[in-house]
Amino acid sequence: MNTQNTKADVVLQIDNLESYYGPIMAIRGVSLKVHEGQIVTVLGANGAGKTTLLKTISGVMDPEKGTVTMEGTDIQSMEPDAIVRRGIVHVPEGREIFPLMTVAENIAMGAYTRKDRSGIAADEEMVYSYFPILKDRRNQRAGTLSGGQQQMLAIGRGLMSHPKLMLLDEPSLGLSPLLTQEIFEIIVRLNKEQKVTMMLVEQNAKVALDAADYGYVMELGRIVMNDSADVLAASKDIQEFYLGVSQDENQRGQRRWKQRKTWR
Amino acid sequence: MTDTLPPQEKVHGLMINSDLSQGPFYIDGMDTTPKLLRLRCQTLGNRTAHREKTFGIWRSHSWNDYFTRAKHLGLGLLSLGLQRGEVVSILSEDSKEWMYTDMGVQCVGGICSGVYTTDSASQLEYLVNNSDSRFLFVENDEQLDKFLQVRDNLPDLAKVIVMDREGLHGFTDPQIIFLDELYDLGAAYDAANPQAFDAGIDATKPEDTAILVYTSGTTGKPKGAMISHGNLMYSVAAGLRDAPTFDTDDQLCFLPLCHILERVFSVNAPIAAGSTTNFAESPETIFDNLQEVSPQTFVAVPRLWEKIYSQVAIRIGDATGVQKWAYAQALKAGGARAACLAEGKPLPFGANLAYRFWDLALLQNLRRMIGMDRLRRGGSGAAPISPELLQWYHAIGVPVLEGYGMTESSGVICINCDDTNKIGTVGRALPGAEIRISDEGEIQYKAGNVFQGYWKNPEKTAETFTEDGWLRTGDVGMLDNQGFLKITGRLKDIIITAGGKNITPAEIENKLKFSPYISDVVVIGDKRKFLTCLVMIDQENVEKFAQDRRVPFSNYASLCAAPEVQDLIRETVEEVNKDFARVEQIKDFRLIDVLLTADDDELTPTMKLKRSFVETKHAELISQMY
Repeated sequence: MNTQNTKADVVLQIDNLESYYGPIMAIRGVSLKVHEGQIVTVLGANGAGKTTLLKTISGVMDPEKGTVTMEGTDIQSMEPDAIVRRGIVHVPEGREIFPLMTVAENIAMGAYTRKDRSGIAADEEMVYSYFPILKDRRNQRAGTLSGGQQQMLAIGRGLMSHPKLMLLDEPSLGLSPLLTQEIFEIIVRLNKEQKVTMMLVEQNAKVALDAADYGYVMELGRIVMNDSADVLAASKDIQEFYLGVSQDENQRGQRRWKQRKTWR
Repeated sequence: MTDTLPPQEKVHGLMINSDLSQGPFYIDGMDTTPKLLRLRCQTLGNRTAHREKTFGIWRSHSWNDYFTRAKHLGLGLLSLGLQRGEVVSILSEDSKEWMYTDMGVQCVGGICSGVYTTDSASQLEYLVNNSDSRFLFVENDEQLDKFLQVRDNLPDLAKVIVMDREGLHGFTDPQIIFLDELYDLGAAYDAANPQAFDAGIDATKPEDTAILVYTSGTTGKPKGAMISHGNLMYSVAAGLRDAPTFDTDDQLCFLPLCHILERVFSVNAPIAAGSTTNFAESPETIFDNLQEVSPQTFVAVPRLWEKIYSQVAIRIGDATGVQKWAYAQALKAGGARAACLAEGKPLPFGANLAYRFWDLALLQNLRRMIGMDRLRRGGSGAAPISPELLQWYHAIGVPVLEGYGMTESSGVICINCDDTNKIGTVGRALPGAEIRISDEGEIQYKAGNVFQGYWKNPEKTAETFTEDGWLRTGDVGMLDNQGFLKITGRLKDIIITAGGKNITPAEIENKLKFSPYISDVVVIGDKRKFLTCLVMIDQENVEKFAQDRRVPFSNYASLCAAPEVQDLIRETVEEVNKDFARVEQIKDFRLIDVLLTADDDELTPTMKLKRSFVETKHAELISQMY
C-alpha cells in the first residue's frame, strides 16, 4: 500500500534535490515526501548522502538544484534559524550538545527562538517527563553525561523549539542495543503523543524499520527504493544488505559473496 | 611438418594466405592457435602479453608466463585424465586465468566452452551436461556455490577447479581442487613427460573443434556452436587486412570472453599480432580502465559507445556558454573533416586549418578524457549502432567502424575499414568470403570461418545451412553495388499483423533506439491489429532529463511512471512514426518499469532485450495495450 502518493497533509516535500561538496555531487536528484504524523526513515550506507540530505533540509547547506517545501512554502534558500522557526528541528549526528553547559542550560538553548516563558516552562517539564534521567542530572555539565543520555538531551533540546518535524541523524550511533531500543521507544511515543513528525536517518535498519511508517533507501546520492516500512523489511535486498539476513544457506554452510542488488 | 604451404603474402607484418577463399589458413606458417601461441611465446619471450589490475596497480605478465601457465594448466588436466576432443567448461569473469584455461585446454587437444557468470545454477547444469564437460573451472566461491547446488545432476564431471581461493580457506572436497594445485600437477607431469606439451600442440589440426560457444537461444535451449581452429585462424587472418593489430598495440578486454566477439578480438587476435591485452577490472570500471589503458584498438557493443557519448553530452550540457559554443564549433570542424574523408575528397585549406585549431584546442582533450587519444580503430558489433553516433565519433576524431558477425561465423562476416567506411552499412565481406541474399531477403554466407555445426544437434545444424551449404544468418538485408551490406532485421522476427502485412520490427526498433532516452525496445504486433512496443529507458539520460526539468521521482519505477517521461517517449515514438507507413506505425507503448540486469532472462549478456522472453514476461503490459 503506497500512502505516499496522496497530496494532503504533506509536511515536507523535496523535489529533485542536488547538493554538492565542492565538485563532488553528494545528492543526485532526490525527491521524497513526509506526511504529517509519520515516521519516515532514510536508510543507506556510509556516503549515501543521508546526512547531506538532512543538512540541506535544515538549511545548513544550500542545494545546487531542486526545492524543499514545508507546508507549501519553499524553504531551500532560508537561513537555518528561519527554518527552525518554521518548525523543523535538526538533531545532528553525534549529538553535538554543548558540553560545558549544564543539562538545563542545554535544554533552554533549544528554546532560543521562542519568547513565551510559560510555554517554555511547560515544555521543559514535558521534556523531563520523557527523559526523567535528565531531570535528575539537570545541574550537571552535559559533557559528563553518558552517550545515551547525551542523545536524549539532544532530542530533548530539539523538542524545545516545539517542532512540527524533527530530523534525527543516526540517533542509534554509538549506543548499546538496549539504549537504542529505549531511544526509539521514546521517538515513537513523541510521534504518537506530541504529534511530532519524524524524519529519521539510520544505518541500523532493523530499529528504524520497526519504528517507521515509510522508508526510503539511498545509495550514492540517489533513492533506489521506497515503500512502506513493512514492505521494505520484507524485501530481499533490504534483508540481505541492511538486515543481515542470509537468504539461502548453501552447501558449504557459509557464504562470503553477496547477491547483486536489484531493488525490486 | 608443414612443407607445402599455400602461397603466402605479408599483410601488416604477418604472413597469411594470399588466397583466403581456401583453407587451411596459415598465420606465420601456423595453422592452429596453439601452434601460433607457441611461436609467439618463443619469439616475444619476456615482452608483456597482458596486464591485469591487482590492488589498484596494473601488473604485466609476459609471453613466457602465458606459455608456462597454459602449459601447466593443460598438462595438469592431462594428468587428471583429459582426453583429446573432450570439453572443459569455464565459469568466470574475464581474467588472465580465463585465457590460460582457454589456451591450456586447446593446446592439449581439449575443447573450451565458456559459461556466463550471470547464468544460474540450473543453466550451468544444462551447459555442463549438454557439452559433456569433463572438467569445470569456476572463478570463486560464488560460482562454486552454483556447482555445489547442482553437483548431483552432473555425473560426467571429473573435477572442478577453483581459480580464486579467497573465502574458501579450509574448504576441502574430493571433487574440487584449486588452480595452484592444478599448476603443480601440470609442472610435475611436465617434468616426467617433457615432450608431452609440444606433442599436444603439434597434434592440433585445423579441422579440430577448438571451442564451443553457446548461443543465447531465444527459443528453446542454448546450442553449442562448434568452432574449429581453422575457423578462428580464418577470422583472425581475414580481419587483418582491414582491421590490423600491431605488436605495439594495447587492447582492452571487457565483454565476456564467452562471447565470440571478445574471444576472437582479445584472445586470438593478440596471439597473432603480439599485442597486449589489458583486462578491465569489471564492467562497472570500464570507463576508468579505458582512460588508464587508452587502447589503440578497441571493440565494444553499441551500448558502450552510446554511454560514452551520453557522458560527454551530459558534461557539455552542464558547461558554460563559451564552452558550449567552443564544443559546437569543434564538432562542426570535425564533422566537415569527417565528411570529406568519407567521400575521399581532399580537405579544403580553410577546413583543415579550422580542424587543426579545434583539435588542438578541444578535441584532443576530449579524446583524452574518454580514453581514446591513442585509438586507431574502434569497432562496434553485436547489435546495430546509430549512424548519428558514428558520425559524432568521426567528428571528434575517433574512428568507430561498424562490423557484423555472429557466433556461427566465428565472430565476423563484414567489417568497415577506415578508407572505405560507409556509415549505415556493416561494411564489405571479409577477403575470401562470399555473401548472397536469398529470395526471402536472408543474408547467406560462405567462408573459412563458417562453424562446424551445433554440438550433438544435427537437426539444428541442418536448419542453419542451405541445401547447397551456405550459412543461413537469419538476418535480412541487402547488398549495394559496391558490396556493402546493410542489415534490416531478423528473419524470424518478422511480424505479420492481423491485416496480413509483413513488418521488419528491427527497422522501427533501431530508429527508436537512436533516441538517447531509449536503451532498447521490442515492437509487438504479430497476429494483432496494430503495432505497439515495450520500451526500456536509458536510466542515466532519463534521470538527467527529469532532473533538468524538475520532474520529481524517487526510484526507477516512479521515474518510468512520471507523465513527463511518458510524454518524452511518446514524442520519440511519434517522431519515428513519421518515417513509416500507417501500418508500420506504433500505436501505443509501455515502459518496462523494473531495472533489468544481466541476471534477468529478458536480457542477453550484452544487455539486449530478448524478444520472446520479453513477450512472455510482460504479457500483462502487452495485453493492456490491446
